[in-house]
Amino acid sequence: MVPEYLQKEAEQGKKEDLGRSTVIKESLDIFRTQQHIAHENGLRTTIQMTYASLFNEEAVAIAKEDHERYGDEIGSTFLGIQCQQFREKFTSRELAIWLFSLDDKKKIVNEVLGKFHEVFGFFPTSTGSYYMDAELVNYIKEEFPMIKVAVATCWEEGPKAYWNANNSWYTLLDGGPWNPWIPSKRNIHCPASDEQDDIGIVAIPHLSRDLMAVFDGPGSYYGTHPQNILRGMVYEGDKIPYFNNLVDQYRSMVKYNQGYAYNMMFVGPGWMSKNGRWEADYDMLLKSYQDGMAYYGQLKKEGKASDVTMSEFADIFRKDRAYTRPECTLWKDILYGSRRQQFWYADPWMRFCLDMNQGGAMIDLRPYASKLIRPCGVGTPNLQDASYPFLIQSNYRAGYFTHYAGEGAVKSCKFSHGSEMVDLCTCRAQASFSEEDDTRIVTLEPVTIEFLAFSIQIQTVFRIKEGMGEVEIVRTILSSTEPSAEVTIDEYITACYGTTEYPEDLTGVRLTARGVAAEESIEYAYQCRETLIPSIQQVEAFVPQVDTLLSMHTSEDTASGYFREGFAFSPMYTLGIKKTVKEKGELRTWLKVEKAS
Amino acid sequence: MAQGRKGKLNYRCPRCLMREIDMDMLYDLERNEYYCLRCSFTGDEVEVLRLNAQFREKYRDRLIRITDF
Repeated sequence: MVPEYLQKEAEQGKKEDLGRSTVIKESLDIFRTQQHIAHENGLRTTIQMTYASLFNEEAVAIAKEDHERYGDEIGSTFLGIQCQQFREKFTSRELAIWLFSLDDKKKIVNEVLGKFHEVFGFFPTSTGSYYMDAELVNYIKEEFPMIKVAVATCWEEGPKAYWNANNSWYTLLDGGPWNPWIPSKRNIHCPASDEQDDIGIVAIPHLSRDLMAVFDGPGSYYGTHPQNILRGMVYEGDKIPYFNNLVDQYRSMVKYNQGYAYNMMFVGPGWMSKNGRWEADYDMLLKSYQDGMAYYGQLKKEGKASDVTMSEFADIFRKDRAYTRPECTLWKDILYGSRRQQFWYADPWMRFCLDMNQGGAMIDLRPYASKLIRPCGVGTPNLQDASYPFLIQSNYRAGYFTHYAGEGAVKSCKFSHGSEMVDLCTCRAQASFSEEDDTRIVTLEPVTIEFLAFSIQIQTVFRIKEGMGEVEIVRTILSSTEPSAEVTIDEYITACYGTTEYPEDLTGVRLTARGVAAEESIEYAYQCRETLIPSIQQVEAFVPQVDTLLSMHTSEDTASGYFREGFAFSPMYTLGIKKTVKEKGELRTWLKVEKAS
Repeated sequence: MAQGRKGKLNYRCPRCLMREIDMDMLYDLERNEYYCLRCSFTGDEVEVLRLNAQFREKYRDRLIRITDF
């Protein structure tokens, strides 16, 4: 009932008072206004009752009335737990459910859902927070099996969100899917592999975010949350076309996901403070909300969207959904006017992002196959760091461009002739998406690479066969102005591991190159060692810190493979497969991530 | 020197905003200026609004309704 922003504002120049009546009254007014706007646009909502609001008779009455009259769902949330009653019971000022010890999490779950039952006479079927670790959700399912859906993460809210909030907002939660998924029992970020691994809820991200802008900027600027957009200043005067553009790009995901697309708005009353916020006065905060809801309402009237509550959505989402089914999106820039595209992919084995601005380079890779057990909160080794580790995050770990020395984390391909070499990271392209049976295909338009004496046209195709946990990558020289000239194609991945911008120790990583006739292996020791094996079958990196086996293999007879160890100023490892070809030649490799243990 | 107070609309520091840090400023009534506790920015409302407009310029599509997906 008293969201943290509103409370903080009310406290300016005053001592803390969790029961300040002016704040509660304002919060209730805004809640009423939000509900009214949704309903006048013909939309139903899911009312996520905070623990604090359960002690407010008026808030409870509004929820009951709107449930009866409009069919709104009454759910529970673990946001907004702080109130006098909570403080007295738990003697803690902690506001984040995921940061309590597991013992305290259990007690809070019992108290919050118990109080909900006392007030409403039933248990909710939806809940949420900014983050809920698998351990917390497993407990909830054990004790409250009726819960079927939860807001479980905030997409790419990690170090960027922390930085954006003057290093004071502890939502370090990078690495999950951007759209709803069925989580694994082992780690909430990872989609479940099968029924045994199914945690029992459908998870939804806190907001529907801009997949390009948020990968490189604050999550709280670019999503279908009108006041977030104001915060990011993506408007002029009172015009915010960006909101509608975002909704429409989410709607366009039907093209990549067998006719299914999803979008949501989640706004707490604190974002519409009467005092104004984010350089916008109350009228503008209100108008942005009205405009957003009006667009959803218009889409509904036109038959282009259906409004469903969280629990209804969970049932729809689960219907006929294979665990192996991936989520795909070819996202295009709708903010900076660049024509840039990025392809996002998530399935139970991995999440990755391809950047067409860098010739289809892989700029993010998360090994979901490892299903790392990684609880967070007090008493756990990770405490606030709830992110799912990456092997590649090119913005955190340099990518193609480094300052004068070393390598950054990226997966790309180099073409060389004599002493000349060109990386596809320097070749911007556009891509298209298609499907063949159970294979998703990303095809890049051909790019031209110019050597001193001749030029070649290259095409890249990524193919992901459902349920295989690997990505097939085909690089083809479509044409050459000098057909007899030899060109070496070097498919490589430079990777590391971590959850933040800062390097981690690679000691213990084992690099292996396995050929038809030879095999070599080293333990990582920052010694710049490099090995090339002819007639390669597989190159691999065993990364025990994240229980992952990362590998590349090929079916080519004449390819060679290598690994390269880094050094302390370049804490990376590189795996590669290369082959020398002429015009019409190609190199076909597969990238795979597996659980190592 | 006067006590810094919360200013109109909670203006964020425009210089910190340029590097995507949301940092609320304080307002000095005597000098009629906003100031940042982090980066030493000072400026009146006109200067804040000028820099905010500059911040928006990176969003070249901010006023374009895009329907082709």
